[in-house]
Amino acid sequence: MSTNVLICDDSNLARKQVFRSLPESLSTDVQLAKNGQEALDILRDKKIDILFLDLTMPVIDGLGVLQALKDDNIELAVFVISADVQPEMQSRVMDLGAKAFLRKPVQLDILNENLKTHGFL
Amino acid sequence: MNAFDLTEDQQDCLQELINVAMGQASDQLARYLDTFVYLKVPKIEQVKSEQLLVTLNQDLKATAVVSQGFFGYEGIRGEALLMYQPQDSNRLADLLGYEADELTFDEQIIDLSSILTTTFLNVFASQIDNQMSYSAPRLLSPNLGAVTQHLQQQAFNWDLALKVRISYQVTDYSFNCDMVLLIPEQAIINIKTVIDRILEEF
Repeated sequence: MSTNVLICDDSNLARKQVFRSLPESLSTDVQLAKNGQEALDILRDKKIDILFLDLTMPVIDGLGVLQALKDDNIELAVFVISADVQPEMQSRVMDLGAKAFLRKPVQLDILNENLKTHGFL
Repeated sequence: MNAFDLTEDQQDCLQELINVAMGQASDQLARYLDTFVYLKVPKIEQVKSEQLLVTLNQDLKATAVVSQGFFGYEGIRGEALLMYQPQDSNRLADLLGYEADELTFDEQIIDLSSILTTTFLNVFASQIDNQMSYSAPRLLSPNLGAVTQHLQQQAFNWDLALKVRISYQVTDYSFNCDMVLLIPEQAIINIKTVIDRILEEF
C-alpha cells in the first residue's frame, strides 16, 4: 500500500523542491495545497500519512494547521519546512506535534535523513 | 509585457528567495532583541517612480527611516529603506537593552537597521550565487521630501522599481519595522536572468 503524502506551501517553487526531493517510494501518491485551508480540506477528506508543511502562508498559516490537526485529533507525521528558523518557532511547532523542523530551502539529504529517522524509509 | 515584468513563476521564485532571506533576518533580529518576531508573507509590487513616491508617502508614517545601498555582481543593486513606526521610538532603547546614555536613538536605530538589511541581503545573495557590498546606513528625516531627495541622488534610474515590503513584528513589544527594497529596472532584469536559471532546474 502506498504512503499518502501532502505538500503544503504557498510557493509553487517550494512545493516542487519538496516533491523533487522525495524518494521514489513516497512520490507515487502526492497531493499539493497552496495554503493551510486547502491542506485542512484535504486532510479532513482523505487519510494522509505524511504532511510537509510551510509556516508563513496566507489564509491559514502552518501553526494554524498544526493546531487544527491537534483539535481534530488527526494523526499523521508532519515535517515542517520553513524559512522561519527562530528557535522559538522551532519549539512551537514541535510542541504542536511536528515530527521535525527542516530549514528552507529543503536539502534532499536532510529530508531523507528525517524520513529515515521516522521510519518512512 | 515588457522586459521588466515578472511572470507568475518568476514572481513566485523571487517571493520564495525573499521568504528564506526574511526568515534568517528575523532569526537574527529575534536573537538580537531576545524575543520572538512574527513574520507576514512579504508583499512584492512593481511601481513606477511617480507611484513609488505616492506609496512611500502612505508608508511614511514612520518615526525614522534608515537607508542603505547594496551592490552585487551582475548589476544587482538597490536601496533598502527601514521604516520604524512612531509608537516604537520610546521602546527602542528598552528593546535593544541599551542604557539611557549609552547610544543615541539615531545610533541605536542605525545599528538595528544594518543588522536587518545586511542579514537579509546576504542570505538573498547567497541563494543566487551573488555577494553584496553595502554603503554606510544613513538616517533620513521621516518625510517624503527628504526620502525623495535621497532617492533622486542615487546613481541609478528609478523610472521603474520593484518594491518589496517586509514586515517584522516583535509581538512582545508591539514593535513594527518595515523593510522596503527598491530595486531599479536594470537590476530587476538582471535578477530575472538569475531567477530563470533557478527555474530551469525545476
